[in-house]
Amino acid sequence: MSPKKLSLPTMNDWVAALIREHRVFGPQAKGDRFAYDLLGCAADLRLDHDVTILPPRKYLMPPTEVLITFTRSGKFESVMEGEPLVLFGVHPYDVAAIAQMDRYFTQDHADSHYLARRKKVTIVACDVQSASENVFAACMGTATVPDGFDVLLTLVGETYVVESRTAAGDALLALAGVLEDADAVSLGRREQLWMDAQKLLRRQNLRCRVEDLPGLLDRSYEHPAWRQKSELCFSCGSCVMVCPSCFCFDVQDEVGWDLVSGERRRQWDGCLLTQFACVAGGHNFRRLREERYRHRFYRKGKYLHDRCGFVACVGCGRCAAACTSGIASPVALYNSLLEDQ
Amino acid sequence: MAKPRVAIFDFACCEGCQLQIINMEEAILDLLNVVQPVEWREAISDHSDEYDIALVEGSITRPEDEERLKDIRRRAKILVALGACATTGGVNKLKNHINSDELKRCVYGAAAAMPHLDTSPTRSLREIVKVDVEVHGCPMSTREFVNVVRCLATGTTPVTPNYPVCVECKMRETICRYEYNEVCLGIITRAGCDAPCPAGGQWCFGCRGLVDDPNVNAANDIMAKYGRTADDLRRRMELFNSTEARPCPRQ
Ligand code: SF4
Ligand code: SF4
Ligand code: SF4
Ligand code: SF4
Ligand code: SF4
Repeated sequence: MSPKKLSLPTMNDWVAALIREHRVFGPQAKGDRFAYDLLGCAADLRLDHDVTILPPRKYLMPPTEVLITFTRSGKFESVMEGEPLVLFGVHPYDVAAIAQMDRYFTQDHADSHYLARRKKVTIVACDVQSASENVFAACMGTATVPDGFDVLLTLVGETYVVESRTAAGDALLALAGVLEDADAVSLGRREQLWMDAQKLLRRQNLRCRVEDLPGLLDRSYEHPAWRQKSELCFSCGSCVMVCPSCFCFDVQDEVGWDLVSGERRRQWDGCLLTQFACVAGGHNFRRLREERYRHRFYRKGKYLHDRCGFVACVGCGRCAAACTSGIASPVALYNSLLEDQ
Repeated sequence: MAKPRVAIFDFACCEGCQLQIINMEEAILDLLNVVQPVEWREAISDHSDEYDIALVEGSITRPEDEERLKDIRRRAKILVALGACATTGGVNKLKNHINSDELKRCVYGAAAAMPHLDTSPTRSLREIVKVDVEVHGCPMSTREFVNVVRCLATGTTPVTPNYPVCVECKMRETICRYEYNEVCLGIITRAGCDAPCPAGGQWCFGCRGLVDDPNVNAANDIMAKYGRTADDLRRRMELFNSTEARPCPRQ
């Protein structure tokens, strides 16, 4: 569908109509920060948010979910959860991260639980209106995205340009009524905004190209920065829990009071946590804090790159904000590796 | 399979953890379907020295308690520590850092010299005997307790988190207390409570004890970043984790 124009009052009515027809989740104020939550009314939607505490990943892979129910005699049944929902106001870097998740969960082995949820999600992306303190999406090529969404919204002055890319997007947009085509001036301003985003979303500046990261890591395994920075690491996992492109989980069984039937659940896990690399017999193959701290950067900057062809970081800056020790920022870490090249 | 025989004992504590069991209400019937209580001062009048599982609440503060605990350990196949008093020594350990005579005068006034007020420094169960399972928290987490009972009844090993409370704050999308420059012990405290305190706007005071390998040095080092001092951290740690907060004079 060609790009349309959406005035602010029409935008408001459209969101209200969407809320009546669908379960719509969007960024809302949470204390001094922002978080995705179910929208009760259009006024709660904060498209001017800088970044949310957690990425929308929580709707595709919740912190804990049931995979199967079983009995100890060996019977089991898969549990597929996932209700249709609209994610509204997703920033481009988070759109890019969802595309990365899609890749992980379909490559080699399709994760049916993830896909059951993913298939029911419609994404209304929104170009960033205010940059967060730690963002470096422009360095990672995710300040704007060409695809990965159903609808894209861009605020140009006093009006939105809205563009649908899929049938699901068209269906959502139909609820806005008849819309005017976006004129050349608005489209020109959108182009300009996309160019400006390359500067706006570079509050932290990576001093190399994203393509150079796997090579940089290749040369830096013994760099003193790993030990130095990890001395302040709590192994608290905040950096991985808030990351839109982290997807690790742990699986645990729990039986009920009948001691026969139970549930198998997965919950978020991450390579920074002490027990993550514990295998049968209690052996931990990344026993040292330093090894765990280093692993996260290799995993994101090199191992997943070798496997999937992209660096598994979209530059949202959430990890840097979440780390109480101030050591989780990929930009700061990579830049310090670069200094000694 | 016969139901395991369970005995519940208490030492120095408020008995709040036993109360957590009684507070399970309807689920108590489920519990009784799975285990056979043979000794439980707070709830039944029976006594027995024959049991498979000992659930022990409270910390050890007198020589006769130490002997009694060792006797329980000899009889039980599995010994479970219930709640902070039993797992870390809990708030009872606060006294370990204060001169005992001074403390008694402050608390009991003129009666301070009475012989029954003589106690030794507080110790957790594992400072005296081998503990097989710990149910953490003050009061203990009922959810964790239920899981432990079911695991013991099915012969599986209960899994207790060994990561900091921060993990659960993230899962709940709670704003970190450090964003308000508050000292929160969640960075070194064992998760498993679902982080209710930060979610309610209160820093974690460490009631579940510390993770196995807490980075206390790092916690000291980051205090300045938040306009706090190592002393602010230590004073908070003393409440439930005084052994780690500073060396105990007894040892
Ligand atoms: S590593 Fe950090 S900056 Fe990169 S995507 Fe994850 S949370 Fe965002
Ligand atoms: S790098 Fe920071 S956020 Fe990540 S585990 Fe270490 S202390 Fe926690
Ligand atoms: S751990 Fe807390 S609730 Fe349990 S007995 Fe001790 S003081 Fe009471
Ligand atoms: S509030 Fe406390 S427990 Fe929660 S993330 Fe912050 S430091 Fe960790
Ligand atoms: S958040 Fe901290 S103080 Fe609160 S219940 Fe959990 S461990 Fe205890």
